[in-house]
Amino acid sequence: MKITDLLKKEGILLNCPATDRESAIDALIDLHSKVGNLNDAAAFKEAILAREEKGSTAIGMGIAVPHGKSAAVKTAGLTAITIPSGIDYKSLDGNPSNLFFMIAAPDTAADTHLEVLSKLMTLLMDQSFAKKLVEAKTADEFLKVIDDKEAEKDKETSAKAAPAAKPSVKKLVGVTACPTGIAHTFMAAEALELKAKELGIDIKVEKDGSAGAKDVLTAKEIEEADAVIVACDKNIDMGRFNGKPVIITSTKEAIHNPENLIKKATDGDVSIYHHSGKISASSEATNESAGRQAYKHLMNGVSHMLPFVIGGGILIAIAFLLDDFSIDPSNFGSNTPVAAWFKSIGGTAFGFMLPILAGFIAQSIADRPGLAVGFVGGALASTGATFVSPGGDVPSAFLGALVAGFAAGYLVRFMERICEKLPQALEGIKPVLIYPLCGIFIIGIVMCAINPIVGALNAWITALLEGMGTGSMVVLGILLGAMMATDMGGPLNKAAYAFGLASLANQNETGHMIMAAIMVGGMVPPIAIALATIFFKNKFTPAERKSGPVNFIMGLCFITEGAIPFAAADPIRVIPSLMVGSGVAGALSMAFKCTLRAPHGGIFVFPVVGNVAMYLVALLIGSVAGCFMLGLLKKNIED
Amino acid sequence: MVSQVVKVTNEQGMHMRPASLFCQTVTPFSSDVKVVFNGTAYDAKSVMMLMSACIKCGAEIEIQCDGPDEAEALKKAVELVESGLGD
Repeated sequence: MKITDLLKKEGILLNCPATDRESAIDALIDLHSKVGNLNDAAAFKEAILAREEKGSTAIGMGIAVPHGKSAAVKTAGLTAITIPSGIDYKSLDGNPSNLFFMIAAPDTAADTHLEVLSKLMTLLMDQSFAKKLVEAKTADEFLKVIDDKEAEKDKETSAKAAPAAKPSVKKLVGVTACPTGIAHTFMAAEALELKAKELGIDIKVEKDGSAGAKDVLTAKEIEEADAVIVACDKNIDMGRFNGKPVIITSTKEAIHNPENLIKKATDGDVSIYHHSGKISASSEATNESAGRQAYKHLMNGVSHMLPFVIGGGILIAIAFLLDDFSIDPSNFGSNTPVAAWFKSIGGTAFGFMLPILAGFIAQSIADRPGLAVGFVGGALASTGATFVSPGGDVPSAFLGALVAGFAAGYLVRFMERICEKLPQALEGIKPVLIYPLCGIFIIGIVMCAINPIVGALNAWITALLEGMGTGSMVVLGILLGAMMATDMGGPLNKAAYAFGLASLANQNETGHMIMAAIMVGGMVPPIAIALATIFFKNKFTPAERKSGPVNFIMGLCFITEGAIPFAAADPIRVIPSLMVGSGVAGALSMAFKCTLRAPHGGIFVFPVVGNVAMYLVALLIGSVAGCFMLGLLKKNIED
Repeated sequence: MVSQVVKVTNEQGMHMRPASLFCQTVTPFSSDVKVVFNGTAYDAKSVMMLMSACIKCGAEIEIQCDGPDEAEALKKAVELVESGLGD
């Protein structure tokens, strides 16, 4: 708003003959009436006088601003008079007043009154400006002085506002997420937050963990941020970052190289992210490798599948725990009503495993249209439908569901591309008719074609595993255990783990032994480290020693990631040590024929572990072996 | 220096009377009193400065006092704003 929008030439009276307060007020009100701002001059005068009663509106420096907010005002306006000789207006500083502005504001809730006042004060603070006004010879000159000053002020404000848009303190926002949402998510967030604090940069990191997102970014925070760091190993909602400079990276990068990321983000050397309408972070626009994209799709499936496997697996295990083997060995697990109840509930949850896996792989690739197609593909892999026997014959199980998920995802993407050529009028029926109908039809054909092949492969692997003598099972245990400890949450670890899930899906003794070896292999690294921080104190920094005990808990909970900070600090010595420990534990678990029907849970699922006493022994010996290796390989820390 | 963030609750915001009142309240203190609003610090002992800030109802302002009687000055100033600036 400009002062001159409110102050008209007719509203100015220079060299007003008024000699006292009341006559000055009358003169100002007369001007308002003349301009046509008032409905009722008498009522407005009452409002003005009532205001003056509460305290003088003379603010010093010869200036007075009587004002009134009243229903008697038709339109907001400003009038001005000058009395060069000055009159007594009971000013705060006791000096006579010679420049008068009167604000008339209608009785509405609007802040016009305040804005005019503020604007006027900003101008009047310059004493030479006030002096020029008093000395003005004509109303035109008076207005011109105001106009010039206002233009000058506006320029100053906008000049001030421009650099203010780029504050010296950089603001960043970030999102971290990993497939399991337990460790990497929070470690990456912490690494970013700590480094940013060190560099004096303002950052807020949203952690999309397994228990839902924490510290969710608001639209305002995203808006205000200079750049966005997305350190995620699974797909997250990217639409909100459209048009922002976004760095897309992995949690691993954020954990190991937070400084690089933050520097890159604050240097402004970041390309603008354009959302493609997909939830997917790994759209072609980003230059992620194909392998990494595939990994991300796979992990989106696995992370959604896990709760079903965990819940279902543990309930099934409880069923076996409660059942009486002697009643009917061939029906073990459902012999007593209670056991049967647990088994069927758990089994129902288990039944969702493959559809969910395939569905969410497909969703990661092709967004929502992919879900249904992948889901059905996964279900077909689970029933084992073929052309000859559509009701189910040779389940292709985990491998089949993987194929189904990727096939469904790319199939839907392919259909989307083809459908681009369809007329606009058909846009609406694509997601509700074309994609589901054609997609499910085609995935049905695909699955019926591959089920016999993958099913046979599955059967072969199963037979191979079951045919393995104890010796080869022990070797497998060493291999899987060592894989779990190699990169702690990385691809090798996940590959071993996925193999465990696949074996679990077979629901046989061998599969359960494999899962047991894998879990013990994953539990050993943090425990081995915790032990080593106690027995080999001089090999660890004080900070490492302090975080040692936490690793006990991490290990017991099967959170292998707890060992990462130690491994990252000294990979060449720590990782082989941990691989030895986990390998030993895996081998022993196999040798003792320990079984596990749940894919996760650490110490909490020990009650349902088969041959639990020996399983504990395997864990203990593995951890001690790892600890011993650490003591052997790690160098003393010099004080 | 002591400071506190307060919310301006009187309906009309920091118009002339509240501004004068605020100014009169803090002027007797020998401490420097500033009102920080929208990233700018205004001298609270100048009515014009205060009014030029255009502090509307609901705005959050930070009152900063610096000097020998800063605590007392801040207390008075915060009380005044919280009581609705005499409106």
